[in-house]
Amino acid sequence: MTIEINKVLKKLGITNVNKGVSTGVEWFDTKGAITSSSSPIDGKEIAKIKNATLDDYEMVIKKAQEAFLEWRLVPAPERGEIVRQIGLALRAYKDELGALVSYEMGKVYQEGLGEVQEMIDICDFAVGQSRLINGVSLQSERREHRLFEQYQPLGVVGIVTSFNFPVAVWAWNTALAAIAGDVVIWKPSSKTPLTAVATQKIINDVLIENNVPEGVFNLVVAKSSVMGDNFLSDKRIPLLSVTGSTAVGKRVGSIVGKRLGKTILELGGNNAVIITPNADIKMAIASTVFGTVGTAGQRCTSTRRIIIHETVYDQVKDSMVNAYKSVAKKIGNPLDENFLVGPLIDEHSVNAFTNAVDKVQEEGGNILFGGEVLKGKGFESGNYVVPCIAEAKNHYEIVQEETFAPIVYLIKYSGDVQNAIDLQNNVPQGLSSCIFTLNVREAELFVAASGSDCGIANVNVGTSGAEIGGAFGGEKDTGGGRESGSDSWKIYMRRQTSTINYGTELPLAQGIKFDF
Amino acid sequence: MIDKTITIEDLIEDYAFSVNFLSKKGIKCIACGEPIWGTLEEACLEKNYTQKDIEAFVNELNILVKNQ
Repeated sequence: MTIEINKVLKKLGITNVNKGVSTGVEWFDTKGAITSSSSPIDGKEIAKIKNATLDDYEMVIKKAQEAFLEWRLVPAPERGEIVRQIGLALRAYKDELGALVSYEMGKVYQEGLGEVQEMIDICDFAVGQSRLINGVSLQSERREHRLFEQYQPLGVVGIVTSFNFPVAVWAWNTALAAIAGDVVIWKPSSKTPLTAVATQKIINDVLIENNVPEGVFNLVVAKSSVMGDNFLSDKRIPLLSVTGSTAVGKRVGSIVGKRLGKTILELGGNNAVIITPNADIKMAIASTVFGTVGTAGQRCTSTRRIIIHETVYDQVKDSMVNAYKSVAKKIGNPLDENFLVGPLIDEHSVNAFTNAVDKVQEEGGNILFGGEVLKGKGFESGNYVVPCIAEAKNHYEIVQEETFAPIVYLIKYSGDVQNAIDLQNNVPQGLSSCIFTLNVREAELFVAASGSDCGIANVNVGTSGAEIGGAFGGEKDTGGGRESGSDSWKIYMRRQTSTINYGTELPLAQGIKFDF
Repeated sequence: MIDKTITIEDLIEDYAFSVNFLSKKGIKCIACGEPIWGTLEEACLEKNYTQKDIEAFVNELNILVKNQ
């Protein structure tokens, strides 16, 4: 299968120079810097984009505030109907948007399609949720009083997304924020602005046809000098959802925290797979290889460590190396379905990868496979690497860090499974984790209070990827935020407790007498 | 011309070599594949460098720019 990228760009409305600011129904010809987006696949420029100025940012904020006053009054199921139609529009453009995700970000086409499917799935979820936004009725201690809790729209939600899931994370946040009655301002990654522009164009028609107020769904492509700390400290934005590194998250938490704003932080991971002597090794290897090399190791949930019991260590090691030998033959253009692993996002990520390969050896580790940068025909962009397997100790400095590239560390444990769990938990991050075992005691211990300390703890399911039905996020340096399914919608809303006195008396709570 | 108020994002975009230069000083400009937020000065201060150190880094970076 050959994908003609020019046809894809044309269908998505991407031109040589694109506007980068939209309020949902209008696009603005801004005077900010003109930047370009290049493909990590071949290094070629895809298109240029006009960035926002501070004035543009101000204009969008004001329109968003005005739109919120109207949007919050639209019944939630009607807001859900708009999200349903957005889901349909995404279905209609799934192939093209998936291809652009692949071309601009570098993930294989199947994963590009999978990313758009996530957008569709969260739209479906949000449509259902729009009829389920609920509160609770409680028993009042006072006669002829009613006590209840309800959820109200919150306001303007700022969304900062990262290059590795350039559009899905926007959808996770936006679909829920929209049905909650909020309006959104999206700052996409500077590495993947065109997928954001394409997404905004896809939803444009839905918004216009349904007379959605201008300012509900906003996009602002801007440099951090225009939309950085000022965005975080802006009191007009009650909630900021940021996906990125722990370093960025700490900055966000500090600035937003100073004004007591709310955040959803989805930050770095250092995800481990535990393989016990009771594991289905074949299943464990198949799952783990996807976790380590899928998206070229550039998922927040990519598997970074494999903690293996000493009795099955050599078997797992040999199987992993054999699997990598096969994978190494399938590194190449991610738009070609014959390949399974695409490029890293840029030269800096390649350098981070090679630095990690060097550093693990300096600390005493041993490279079992890969670690090279590929050169020659098909690899001219310089962004393709051979995924690396290294033997290491959990306490190594490089193992404690997250390297956003396909390098995985094999770590041996002995004795009880609790030893493996302790190793797994002994890193600063706490996003995703899993155990491969057919032993019910080991499995239950892993998900018990003394088990994994991560936001995601799976049994016989790898660390990488997640269904939209569950809440997504992690603990410790991962930031503590939750997005997507379950009751994540609540953070996009303002919780309110109300007491109504429908009687003729005025009893005070706790039986207090206050006669005057 | 680089000065200490340049954002890390602009520094990386315009002077890619500075990522390695700063990495050798223990300053990580890229995390999770994205530039960290803030200015060159802020990144240096976070690693406990003094204003004198920062001035020296800026001078060295500008010499590297000239020699490119």
